[in-house]
Amino acid sequence: MRGRVQRITWWVILLAAGCGLFAVRSLAQEACLQCHETEGLSITLPSGESIPVTVKGKDLAASVHRDLSCTTCHPGQEKYPHPPLAAKTAREFRVASARICQSCHSDAASDYSQSVHGRGLKLGLADVPTCQSCHTAHTVKPAKDPAFRNNIPLVCGNCHGDPQLASKYGMKEVYQTYATEFHGVTTFFYRVTKPQEVSPAAVCYDCHGIHDVKAVDAPDSPVNKQNLLSTCRKCHPQAGALFASAWLEHERPALGKATLVYLVSLFYTILIPSVVVFLGVHTVLDLWRWLMDRLEERRR
Amino acid sequence: MRRKVKEMGRKGSARRASTAEIQRFSLGRRIEHFLLMISVNVLAFTGLPQKYFYTGWGQRIIQLLGGIEQTRFIHRTFALVLVGVSVYHLGTLLWQVLRGVSGSPPMALTMKDFRDMVDDFRYLLGFTKERPRYDRFDYQQKLDYWFVVWGTTIFIITGFIMWFPEWISRYLPGIVIPAARVAHGGEALLAVYAVILWHFYAAHFRPQVFPFDPAMWTGKITLKRLREEHPLEYERIIKTLGTPRDAEAQTAVCSEENEGPPGPV
Repeated sequence: MRGRVQRITWWVILLAAGCGLFAVRSLAQEACLQCHETEGLSITLPSGESIPVTVKGKDLAASVHRDLSCTTCHPGQEKYPHPPLAAKTAREFRVASARICQSCHSDAASDYSQSVHGRGLKLGLADVPTCQSCHTAHTVKPAKDPAFRNNIPLVCGNCHGDPQLASKYGMKEVYQTYATEFHGVTTFFYRVTKPQEVSPAAVCYDCHGIHDVKAVDAPDSPVNKQNLLSTCRKCHPQAGALFASAWLEHERPALGKATLVYLVSLFYTILIPSVVVFLGVHTVLDLWRWLMDRLEERRR
Repeated sequence: MRRKVKEMGRKGSARRASTAEIQRFSLGRRIEHFLLMISVNVLAFTGLPQKYFYTGWGQRIIQLLGGIEQTRFIHRTFALVLVGVSVYHLGTLLWQVLRGVSGSPPMALTMKDFRDMVDDFRYLLGFTKERPRYDRFDYQQKLDYWFVVWGTTIFIITGFIMWFPEWISRYLPGIVIPAARVAHGGEALLAVYAVILWHFYAAHFRPQVFPFDPAMWTGKITLKRLREEHPLEYERIIKTLGTPRDAEAQTAVCSEENEGPPGPV
């Protein structure tokens, strides 16, 4: 009997301690947000670049990291005034942030370090995406969330649809061709009409890989010529041997590239206006003639 | 119908000649046309928002139909209706061949149609006072028919390629799949223009028939219109049936089952 009372007492103490811990954490978040919810808050780095440090409590509460305390990702920032940042440039700041993500997400980080993006980062390329470029800093969604998956083409398209970045790094503007092809249209309709459901059509990372995305001509890239068909068959298991050539490789049809598609398109570009002019002229003439006949009748 | 003719008779023969009707389309043909009309409208309503996905109206229609998958399901269901109508139509033509019906098919394009078209333009432009004299179907109706045949053929072939891309890529290069998508969309736009500028004009907006030509609904056409719009067919009927008055009396009791007037069917 006494043992049971003791046990219950311990449970109550543990529960209270848990609640207390949670409350302290929430209070700590509250404390940070008291300043950091202010609009337009930013810090200026020695390089002259400025980094926004405004955080919305509402965004944080909707994030997958809602139960983390601020100092989990921002250690050493408990006191105010905060110690000066070690980062001298925005790039250094982002690398330091990525290191913090890595402390929990080590598998994603090691995939990333092998990827074309991670290798670019090591080479010191300024435009290479790090964790928060795709996942954001404070509104992180679970990767399985429809809002995250259906939005992926826009996330990748941020850089891979940008003509300036395309010409700087010799990349294709792949977003534009994806957005108008079958998978792109399906995903688009899910994003705008069914945001609560996951698009079943392939988005960027289904073909290119996620954190370990490779250059398309790399031998182990899932989308190079040798691997493309088996990548298609992940979703189209019945695909015939000639299936992969249905994919236009983000090219706009032209003579020599997807020639058949180009010719069909050209055919209709010529046929439609010709037919419309012929039919339209006939219709207008027919009405005209009817009107003239009517007027003539009336005059008589 | 017989009673109707009698009543007309009292009002005088001029009036009577204008309202006496003759069977033009059998019930089978009218059902075919009805199913074609329904399927084409649903296919356009569910297909165009997919082609114009980037427009507000396109997104609203998809939303209304419950999403892209639901829209595709409706589109494919009515595509099967269209396939059914096409198969039935080809079946009736084959049946006529097997039955040994002689003469050229009424929808066959001939040199006369080409001459009629040139003459029609000359008439419309005022170079001549004479309208070309048409037979059972004028060149505009034949073009309308061939638009449907051409369009349906393209739609069915390219639609099936898009519906079963995995299967088709066992036999044909994959490039036919995106090519089919371009053709399907281009043909859709062409069909919409043709239906509005040609078919809607001929069957609805033309002042002579506005608001709609009842022939495809009732299956009948007045002798007056037949004489004006299809004089060659009219004369052949008169020749077979005797004087215009006899013709009226006989056609008035024309039964539903009869596929219109005797002609080169």
